[in-house]
Amino acid sequence: MMGRTSRVAIVGVGAVSAFGLGWRGLGGTVVEGKPLRSTSHALAVTHPGIEAAQVPALAPAQDAGDGRQRKLMSRGARLAAVVMREALRDARWSEGREEVGAFLGVGASGGAMEELTAMLQAGITACNPLFAFQLMNNFTLCHGAILEGVGGPNGAFFSRGGGTVRALREAVATVSTGECERALAGGSDSALHPVTWAELGREGFAARGLVPGEGAGLLALSSRPEDTALAWLERCEVLPVEGLSRVLAGSHGQVDTVLTAAWGPGIAGELESTVARLGVPVSDTVTLLGEALAASPALAWAVAVDLLAQGRAHRVLVLSLGVDGELGLVELAGAQR
Amino acid sequence: MSARRVFIRGVGVVSALGRDWPSTAAALAGGRSAIGPITHFDVAGYPCTVGAPVLDPELEGPDRRLGLARRAAREAWARAGVSVAPERLGVFIGAESGRATLSTVCELAQAAGGGRTFDHVRFGARAPAMAPRIDASVVSPAAVASVLAGEWDARGPAQTVSLACASGSAAIIEAVRALRLGLCDVALCGGVGADVDPLMLAGFGHLGILSAKGCSRPFDARRDGFVVGEGAALVVLSVERGDAEAEIAGVGRSLDAYNLTAPDPEGDGARRSMLAALRDAGVETVDYVQAHGTSTPLNDPVEAWALRVVLGDGLARARVASVKGALGHWVAGAGALGLVCAYEAVVGGRMMPTAGLETPDPDCDLPHVIGEAVYQEARTALVNAFAFGGANTSLVVRRCA
Repeated sequence: MMGRTSRVAIVGVGAVSAFGLGWRGLGGTVVEGKPLRSTSHALAVTHPGIEAAQVPALAPAQDAGDGRQRKLMSRGARLAAVVMREALRDARWSEGREEVGAFLGVGASGGAMEELTAMLQAGITACNPLFAFQLMNNFTLCHGAILEGVGGPNGAFFSRGGGTVRALREAVATVSTGECERALAGGSDSALHPVTWAELGREGFAARGLVPGEGAGLLALSSRPEDTALAWLERCEVLPVEGLSRVLAGSHGQVDTVLTAAWGPGIAGELESTVARLGVPVSDTVTLLGEALAASPALAWAVAVDLLAQGRAHRVLVLSLGVDGELGLVELAGAQR
Repeated sequence: MSARRVFIRGVGVVSALGRDWPSTAAALAGGRSAIGPITHFDVAGYPCTVGAPVLDPELEGPDRRLGLARRAAREAWARAGVSVAPERLGVFIGAESGRATLSTVCELAQAAGGGRTFDHVRFGARAPAMAPRIDASVVSPAAVASVLAGEWDARGPAQTVSLACASGSAAIIEAVRALRLGLCDVALCGGVGADVDPLMLAGFGHLGILSAKGCSRPFDARRDGFVVGEGAALVVLSVERGDAEAEIAGVGRSLDAYNLTAPDPEGDGARRSMLAALRDAGVETVDYVQAHGTSTPLNDPVEAWALRVVLGDGLARARVASVKGALGHWVAGAGALGLVCAYEAVVGGRMMPTAGLETPDPDCDLPHVIGEAVYQEARTALVNAFAFGGANTSLVVRRCA
């Protein structure tokens, strides 16, 4: 499986965020810096008035599965299933899906609010029999895989940022070494859950101005020559944050845009001041899209691909920082150069 | 570029049958089972009232997973005798979310008027008060890997894989890949499960997948579900052989893409996972199989069918067993325990039996190891771990030439 390595192209993207379903246009949205905020329906009972970056209601045709299937999904799983369908469609992978790999950064799922409410009111026997499967982290990956017939090598990496970058790195390694020729990689998560928000509050993020968000992003990666590249994935690493200056010096080419996806404005500012030495524009995606935990790095990658596809950038560096202090570094290059 | 070989330098296991691998292995080889009535909390009214918990006061703490993993890791590390720079040591752990301690849960239940009997309705009514009592560092899946990385001063990759019943083996696969890719030189990896608690027993029981008869009998005609067990299995992998006697020669992964709870009846995902691992190892058959073998009506015949298809005529020369008959299902730790059993087969020539298996189901026609261990030379072994949701993993262990 290590006999050859191939260059990995990004040939499709799926994204869902506070700006709705779709990735095209997200780059402009982030660069222009106009956040969308609303009060969170999911947090309304326990944390009324919290401003959030919430995914708007999806039309039935945009949503994942049918009503019964959705009842078995955590929020993260539902969003993952939506973007899995979109990424496959965007990449035009209608056949051979049993060989497509899937690598996701996933959060601790948490039960759907309806189920939690049922449990609070009438005990666990009032929940649907598959309630436990909303709580298992790998189901964020498996619901979408079942709906879309994705059956290749896979992994669900617990993530508060860093795990999502590891998922991408694993997908890149899997594709570049030929274990599979096509793979989906990204993350899905929601911070709009009462328990999650209580944890973030206790850890001090809420007090530091973090806006909770939710979303999912997936890149469709390929080594097949017949797949049309939207962009090229040049570099993917997970590093201690102390290594930032060193890795910036090792960029493969002339980076003309830097995106950050970082926990809280303080950390984002620290990253920005470090990368400012590069003398290129820096935009923070979390400021616009909210902190979507395991999804944040993946949404930033989707933003990067949009900037590249539009020709607004030629080489983008995406720096993400999870609460674990691990720095994710992903470098993408435009396909037109 | 040729792949770097990945050697198994040390193994460590904490189980309900022993505080380390030698004591566990001796009990397993003798055909003993740890499965028995749950006594550390009141299980009256639960669909399944047996388990294989590890009840060792030395291991108690806010996070029960941690005590298990730490002891198993120390054993594996001591046996490995490796020396590595911190930056070249990675930690890869298969773990699902933890929970509040049993004492906290019971205390809350008592506060709700439930007494020793876990009253779900009362518990649910008091659930909002639970949040401040549950520390994120305890319930996070990543807590185990983070703590082990800190204690071992590991500054290489620290990774948590949450793939339900395949978590442990998937974490080992990630470690193998990281070692092959040169991301680290030594990996502490494996899985841990600590799920014999009221919440998981209620959740799994509510699904109807636990044994109502209170028996774990993989591949037996009378099997009716699995039994939850607990433990940790950790291994130290290295790209330097040292005095290692076995290596991980092949890894494979697939998704069923079929159903949330049921395996694909054709066993397609299981077959693809096994074939990928065998292909990666460059072998067509093996001498021993440590099967996933959960003792559920659906899993076992599908796995048996997939094994017959994949191994073909070679299956007749192999032996097959599932350790879940003796130690129950460790969920996130299951695949890692399977790997250690496979290691024992190729290094020690000791093929562990399937405890509880007395009357093989004709639909699970395999060359089983029944009763006690079989002592027979084995060069290669296959390990399966299949997860709810359809994620499949397979590993091939090979004795070093």
